[in-house]
Amino acid sequence: MKPLHFGLLCVALATAAPAALAQTKPKPKPAPAAAVAPAAPRETPPAGGTPRDFELPAKEEFTLPNGLKAKLVPYGQVPKTTMLVAIQAGNVHEAATEVGVADLLSKLMSEGTATLTGAQFADKVARMGGWLNVSVGQDQTLIYASCLSEFAPELAALLAEVVQRPALPESELARIKADFKRQMNLARAQPGTQARQKFSQALYGSHPYGRPIPTDAEIDALTMAQVKAFYQTQYGAQRTSVYVAGKFDNGAVREAITRAWATMPQGPAPRIEIAKSQTRPDVTTLDRPGAPQSTIVIGLPVVDPSHPDYMRVRVMNSLLGGSFGSRITRNIREDKGYTYSPYSYLETHYRTGNWSQNADVTTQETGNSLKEIVYEIEQLQKTPPSAEELKGIQNYESGLFVLRNSTPAGIIGQLNTLDLHGLPDSYLTEQVKNINAVTPQQVSETARKYVRPEAMTIVVVGDRKIIDPQIKKFQASRKKPL
Amino acid sequence: MKNRFSGRHYLLGLAGLLGLHACSPKATAVVTAPAPAAAPAAAPAPAAAFQIPVEYYTLPNGLKVVLSPDHTAPTATVAAYYNVGFRNEPRDRTGYAHLFEHLMFQGSQNLGKMEFIQLIQKNGGILNGSTRFDFTNYFEVVPSHKLETMLWAEADRMRGLAITQANVANQQGVVKNEVRVNVLNAPYGGFPWLDMPQKANQNWNNAHNFYGDLKDLDAATLADAQQFFKTYYAPGNAALAVVGDFEPAEAKAWVQKYFANIPSAPQPPKPDISEPRQEKEQRFTKDDKLATKPALAFAYHMPDRNTPEYYALILLDQILLQGKDSRLYQALVQKRGYSDNVNGGINYLGNAFNYSGPMLWMGDLIYDQSVKADSVVSVLDQEINRLAKGGIDQATLDLAVVKLRSSLYDQLSGSDNFGRADMLASFALFDNDPGRINRLEAEFRKVTPALMQRTMQEYLRPTNRTLLIVNPLAKS
Repeated sequence: MKPLHFGLLCVALATAAPAALAQTKPKPKPAPAAAVAPAAPRETPPAGGTPRDFELPAKEEFTLPNGLKAKLVPYGQVPKTTMLVAIQAGNVHEAATEVGVADLLSKLMSEGTATLTGAQFADKVARMGGWLNVSVGQDQTLIYASCLSEFAPELAALLAEVVQRPALPESELARIKADFKRQMNLARAQPGTQARQKFSQALYGSHPYGRPIPTDAEIDALTMAQVKAFYQTQYGAQRTSVYVAGKFDNGAVREAITRAWATMPQGPAPRIEIAKSQTRPDVTTLDRPGAPQSTIVIGLPVVDPSHPDYMRVRVMNSLLGGSFGSRITRNIREDKGYTYSPYSYLETHYRTGNWSQNADVTTQETGNSLKEIVYEIEQLQKTPPSAEELKGIQNYESGLFVLRNSTPAGIIGQLNTLDLHGLPDSYLTEQVKNINAVTPQQVSETARKYVRPEAMTIVVVGDRKIIDPQIKKFQASRKKPL
Repeated sequence: MKNRFSGRHYLLGLAGLLGLHACSPKATAVVTAPAPAAAPAAAPAPAAAFQIPVEYYTLPNGLKVVLSPDHTAPTATVAAYYNVGFRNEPRDRTGYAHLFEHLMFQGSQNLGKMEFIQLIQKNGGILNGSTRFDFTNYFEVVPSHKLETMLWAEADRMRGLAITQANVANQQGVVKNEVRVNVLNAPYGGFPWLDMPQKANQNWNNAHNFYGDLKDLDAATLADAQQFFKTYYAPGNAALAVVGDFEPAEAKAWVQKYFANIPSAPQPPKPDISEPRQEKEQRFTKDDKLATKPALAFAYHMPDRNTPEYYALILLDQILLQGKDSRLYQALVQKRGYSDNVNGGINYLGNAFNYSGPMLWMGDLIYDQSVKADSVVSVLDQEINRLAKGGIDQATLDLAVVKLRSSLYDQLSGSDNFGRADMLASFALFDNDPGRINRLEAEFRKVTPALMQRTMQEYLRPTNRTLLIVNPLAKS
């Protein structure tokens, strides 16, 4: 219900990244000597049994004559069904003069259909024990929904209604715009958003991936005509995929999808303008007077999931900063206590991606945090990890693979990733094998090739009068000037 | 535009990885498909279809153990719950229950700093811990063949901490940064989840700053940690839930092997955490120098847990606050456009089931300066009065049960099986009866329109509520 965990390790779950093993001093045995010497001799953890087989759940796929693709995955015993309609029409498809139009359309889609008012629509979903949520990402508009199993065919039909016959009521436009403006305003007040926007702008420039979130003036200027034009030119069956997972009656759901979506116009062919990402080695600070913490983003463009090196980059990221046990987390959190929630991750776009390390750190330790992050990167570049440290990461990644593929929503997310990036099924079926094929030398090489501190864009949001001198000192300490 | 702002990527990642906690698989369950009638609202299939296996016993040292096999995926979840949360912490050591949670990862008899975390991850698992009103918990999800390893590791740290002064100091730093990122450097930081209990409650145990005063955190010592551990982390004050793909006999043998010889310890008496009946509306304002828009939260004291009124109020929450069809969403968002969303529910640090003691039913929204706080309050009154006066008909009640049933299924599943382990451990800890998990649905079906009305009259009265308004000081 609420975002806040009084927790410890959100990071571990979070970054969907891999794990790590020991670092500064890689540990050979699970139970080696540590800081304290208790009286009794140390016990070694039991090794556990042999792995049980895990196979990806079988799926049923079909394509309608208009080009719409559907994938059904019966899975699990809980009497619920999860669905996703993914439409390749996102912020990347917006013109520079209509930033946010995809969002505005998506918000209006919850305001009713040709046959249902907004309130009736909400009521209908509730009566299925369901929820339905429309959101817009860079590359896609996503409509996630779920319901009690017995209503699955009905929900499949309702989703088609939402997409094909949205009411787009002019009467609601002013209210929806006010909501949109408020959301953007609140987002802009977050230091994380401020930092991330600067970072994306530096990497992607004027490509839509680099655009800041829309201003009030930009939102005010959007018209219903633009919303409808976006719908007409960007939506269509060829750009739409329907995913269903969970417990449901296959035949009935297949029939409902076929019937409800057959009438959707073919629409435009899939197309995403590929961004030419830029490497911009510089430091930007944004002033947040009095801030008790500095929000750091440091990173650079790297390869996307369609690239042969991607799996190596992923494993490298896990070990470096992408998991709770990773080297950077161990250093700036567990050793130094500079931060609560450091994490590195790979942001993937269509045919482009970036790596970044992110952390909110004690203001007084801003420069030291940057120094330690760069130190850990360079260590990894210089020295391959031990086979055991890497094995730990590979096991973690393999374990996460099972977790990601063991819920309906997780399965759907994976399938959508494959389709969005045009990846073959082998991306999933051979993933564990590929994770485990990475060698210590390759991890080090990958860090040298892709995660180059001297090429990184650094953005720091914090109290400038305190952090600027620290950052100057950090820059001066770099052998190669940034 | 989700991807454009980053904020808390770890939360996004969490959702991504664990599957939105939406629907899910898992569960050894036999489902009788309720008839998809023309009017889908009716609450069908009372003879509960969805049953969760529960094997429950207590070790001689007092440790409560719940086993619940689920062979959907080859994973196993271990959850250790200690019956100490914010409400039990010592008076001059605010935030201690939470700080201690961090210390549990810092070293034990056999695993040094970071080794616990690394042990889980290198075996392909994830882990977390959290501190709540009435418990502190720890859980791991691993490939199921590593279950024994996890049980050993949880037992190892239950048996004894071996932390150092350096580790205490380090985690003081981490916790202070946690407070900064979640509260001090965030617009609306602490609103209303951390603020409201301090305003709405009278009893210190329910009303102090759960994150702790930074000076109390600084003052914590190694000796405090040891004392706290000895007192509250004894097996008799804990419950262990194991959920997932395992054979119960095998799991039982491992639990016996690793936990049975941990010595028990006497427990101090539990503090009185009761709250007096609230007789007068309270209203507070909070200046927020980072916030750009006003916000309002409302909170009502809940009926006691497990009473008929408690179940009724959970259904009222469904009707008033949950989902886009809810009365308050429709009235405040869709009809009047005061906000784009109304958050809310029971127990912002958990859910309606994982607490023991007084609790608040709460809602909150952020709105524009053009809207007055009193306008929001009058809509709240209007919607509650309409229900209270007009009564709640059976159809509305049935719809609430459908929504509740659906959300329960979500909670009881999920790739990490954490929701199920959480409920089983909570019911073991608080009720000595984890089998309640399979009787909840029946309890909700017992609720009548008359009970709903009585509950509204007593608990949703204005004199039982606290309002907290955020006064934004940042430029919009």
